[in-house]
Amino acid sequence: MSDIQSALRETAKKLLTEGTVTCVIGWGETRFPDKTTPIFVKTPEDAEKLVWNAHCVCGLAKYMLDNRCPEGKLAICVRGCDSRAVNRIVEDKQYKREDLYLIGLPCEGKDAPICATCTHRNPVVYDVLLGGPVPEIEVSQEDRFQAVTALEGLTPAEQYDYWQKQFSKCIHCYACRNACPACNCTECYADQYRVGWQGKQIDKAENQVYGLTRAFHVGDRCIECGECERVCPMGLPIMSQTRKILKDINDLWGNYECGLTDSRPHILGEFDLSDRDDFM
Amino acid sequence: MSRIGVVVCHCGTNIAGVVDVERVAAEAAKLPNVVFAVTNKYTCSEPGQATMKAAIEEHQLDRLVICSCSPRMHEATFRRMLKDTRINPYMLEIANLREQCAWVHTDKEKATEKAIDLMRMAVAKVEQNKPLFTSTIPIHKKCLIIGGGIAGIQAALDVADAGYQVTIVEREPSIGGHMVMLDKTFPTLDCSACISTPKMVDVGQHPNITLMTSSEVVNVGGYVGSFEVTIKQKARYVDHTKCTGCGLCETKCPTKVPSEFNQGYNKRTAIYKPFAQAVPAKPVIDPDSCKMLKEGKCGVCAKVCPLGCIDFKDTAKEYTETYGAIIVATGYDLIPWQDLYGEYGGGRYADVITGLQFERLVNASGPTEGHILRPSDGTEPKDVVIIKCVGSRDPHKGKSYCSRACCMYSAKHAHQILEKLPGANVYIFYMDVRTPGKGYEEFYDRTRADGAVYIRGRVSKIYKENGKLVCKGEDTLLGKPVSVQADMVVLATAMVPAVGVEKLTTMLGIATDPDKWVQEAHPKLRPVETQTGGIFLAGTCQGPKDIPDTVAQASAAAVKVCGLFSKDEMETSPMISGVDQQKCCGCGFCVNCCPYKAISLVEIDAREGARRVKKTVASVNSGLCQGCGCCTAACRTGAIDLSGYTNAQILKEVDALCL
Ligand SMILES: Cc1cc2nc3c(=O)[nH]c(=O)nc-3n(C[C@H](O)[C@H](O)[C@H](O)COP(=O)(O)OP(=O)(O)OC[C@H]3O[C@@H](n4cnc5c(N)ncnc54)[C@H](O)[C@@H]3O)c2cc1C
Ligand code: SF4
Ligand code: SF4
Ligand code: SF4
Ligand code: SF4
Ligand code: SF4
Ligand code: SF4
Repeated sequence: MSDIQSALRETAKKLLTEGTVTCVIGWGETRFPDKTTPIFVKTPEDAEKLVWNAHCVCGLAKYMLDNRCPEGKLAICVRGCDSRAVNRIVEDKQYKREDLYLIGLPCEGKDAPICATCTHRNPVVYDVLLGGPVPEIEVSQEDRFQAVTALEGLTPAEQYDYWQKQFSKCIHCYACRNACPACNCTECYADQYRVGWQGKQIDKAENQVYGLTRAFHVGDRCIECGECERVCPMGLPIMSQTRKILKDINDLWGNYECGLTDSRPHILGEFDLSDRDDFM
Repeated sequence: MSRIGVVVCHCGTNIAGVVDVERVAAEAAKLPNVVFAVTNKYTCSEPGQATMKAAIEEHQLDRLVICSCSPRMHEATFRRMLKDTRINPYMLEIANLREQCAWVHTDKEKATEKAIDLMRMAVAKVEQNKPLFTSTIPIHKKCLIIGGGIAGIQAALDVADAGYQVTIVEREPSIGGHMVMLDKTFPTLDCSACISTPKMVDVGQHPNITLMTSSEVVNVGGYVGSFEVTIKQKARYVDHTKCTGCGLCETKCPTKVPSEFNQGYNKRTAIYKPFAQAVPAKPVIDPDSCKMLKEGKCGVCAKVCPLGCIDFKDTAKEYTETYGAIIVATGYDLIPWQDLYGEYGGGRYADVITGLQFERLVNASGPTEGHILRPSDGTEPKDVVIIKCVGSRDPHKGKSYCSRACCMYSAKHAHQILEKLPGANVYIFYMDVRTPGKGYEEFYDRTRADGAVYIRGRVSKIYKENGKLVCKGEDTLLGKPVSVQADMVVLATAMVPAVGVEKLTTMLGIATDPDKWVQEAHPKLRPVETQTGGIFLAGTCQGPKDIPDTVAQASAAAVKVCGLFSKDEMETSPMISGVDQQKCCGCGFCVNCCPYKAISLVEIDAREGARRVKKTVASVNSGLCQGCGCCTAACRTGAIDLSGYTNAQILKEVDALCL
């Protein structure tokens, strides 16, 4: 791993020295030995701060939309999930692919629960790949949707109770939204208090509105990076919602995974004459 | 502070019979900002409107809620009424207490509660209303007609006679469509070519009509009043500006291929006119069969042409033009029965033919000069079976609908056989005989008197035995199996939309029904309009029908176009979408879901913190937007909003209902 870490530092240094990019987004050390944090590297000297180890868990792609990024081309370190997140953001037209330089890092899995059901450990898009590809792990549809299937086994009343209990924990910190690469809107609906979509108060109705609205906003675009669930301070099973939508899409239209390319039809938001309509 | 007036209509007893209208008005009076609330016997009537106008002045109202029938019924009436009051016509909301309440409920107490809810929602919404203003768009008085069958021809002549410019786009080398292929037309049995070719000639010579044959529409932009249409004309290899139609080339061309017009029963040359009376009466070269174009040798036509019209280097050309209105008249094709009905031989038996093939065999200018002869051996058939509803009314194999013309043309065919072949026998297998038209039932009666034998039932199988085609089926009236030995079988095959019509309807942004027939805006009240302003329909592109109905629709569509062209500009609805560029993130989701292609992404200058940046945002074309609201549902951030149905208005309605 340290080989790749030195290669990463070398690459970053070269990109910054040659002026190919103005900033490299990667992971850096924190005061905790088992935690890393996203860092914005803007000088060749700072390239030494980049690390690559089992604790590099934070999704980085979303940081390209952060206003700490300087103007000009950005480099981002991408594992499999980060590369799909980049595709997500590019496909949603929030960044141009040509304004990004992707440093691909094949990933053997990190300290995050989501990594157990990761279907793309090798970056699906990159400009340079550091280290050889790693073997992909076998993830069955059953494994992928295991949490959803368990909930589908409950009666509607039990499901309602379950979600009421879960939603009641939410404190509207919006961390799930901030971490999510599919939540890339300039001005989130939840922040538009004057329109009245989302109330600030923490109660049954408002918590439910937030949970369900966000799930529907990202459901058919979710790249299954697990960031939402990882960052939630209250431990809400957020991915069970988005994966329910993904599971339904898979059941209806066959295998469907997001973020594998940066241009595919938007499955629930587009209409084509050849679409299935046997349910009508 | 707004000043809202609420008027609750009795609609005679239509509403008042089920809803306690006085209670609804009393509840309205209690709501904040409602300064006037009454009931009225007939709000839409002259006195009803006068009362409202007086109240608006007297109470200085600035918004109005009318609890009455569906807005589809009288919204326009009430808006017109408000035009000469102090209230903007769009400061009006209608609560539908009739169709959505009184007519669908019987429990007076519950219906009244629901009516109060509907009224409260309308009051909550009207609080948010803003004055809206119509604008106008210019109208280019030029009409495009797509398809040159009898529908397109009739519509073109009507619009052109009214003094407007017309272009007909026909994909075949000649106009005429299916009607010129027919021999005689029911029920009067006049010769189809004799009544349609004069009209074709009129089209060809009309000073207001431009004819574009061998052409198709390849792109449509714009909106009612100014559609930008690109038409592609295929290479014809003959310069029609010079050609006089002498036909010398056709006589000398050595290449012979089956004639489409004669259903393959005889040959045409590679340089050809589809039929003698074709309009334009000038040949084209078929590049798929011409030796010169395929193999680089021959060129006989070029040598014999006295005017040097042949140009083997001719290429397709594109023309772009602005039209104020479009009439779709693309007609029908026949269902590919061979693929669906293996039990009828699936096309293996030469003497099992379609009605359209029969029309050519019985036609005096057809391949047999009007003698009914079997395609297989050229002999006269003695026993002929006609099978109706092949592909029609057969949801399992074909289509569930009735093709409408087959009952009558099958009777016509029976009559023609019995007349031309004395001693012949005709057996008609049918499910029902449908003759709803002037003189149709009489025609059917006459055919039976002529000796046609009608057998009620479907044929389940046709097979060959001893040189005969054995048709096995069931006579459902006798409840017995029947078997008829025939020399020839004529299938009345279902009409289906013209091949490739989906491409055109997608381009035009108009809807089709599940069978791909073009969808009319309203089956009864707007039968020749589509949902898209300025696009009309005529003839069988909308559904199977016979010539009288086709022509009637064509003239109706022409009147609609002339009505549109009688004005220089038209008012547009202000209830369209607009984009808040601040909120819009340029994701383009709305672009993909707009059924009218009204939205595009544009780049603007914006400020982000201290930076000046180029930003991509959505932008709505106000001429194209029809106010359907799809985009507002697709936009996650609520950046796109529909005037008259804003997110804020709808949220207030929901609050009024739920809180
Ligand atoms: C066997 C048979 C017998 C019949 N006998 C009778 C009868 O006796 N009496 C009667 O009243 N009715 C009869 N009918 C019905 C009659 O044929 C139709 O009602 C009539 O021809 C419909 O005319 P139309 O203009 O709508 O369609 P069409 O005649 O089909 O004309 C459509 C035209 O549009 C063109 N077109 C299609 N798509 C495009 C495109 N994308 N771009 C440009 N051009 C395009 C086609 O080439 C064609 O020229 C009969 C039908 C059949 C099948
Ligand atoms: S919803 Fe969660 S799992 Fe899906 S893309 Fe967003 S953060 Fe990742
Ligand atoms: S919750 Fe919806 S509106 Fe907010 S950022 Fe996510 S997708 Fe956009
Ligand atoms: S991260 Fe958790 S607590 Fe915060 S808004 Fe999301 S679901 Fe609620
Ligand atoms: S050049 Fe083609 S069209 Fe002309 S005569 Fe020869 S085969 Fe016929
Ligand atoms: S309301 Fe929106 S989706 Fe509908 S026509 Fe207008 S722009 Fe298109
Ligand atoms: S209006 Fe909404 S849906 Fe359309 S591009 Fe803007 S943010 Fe996306």
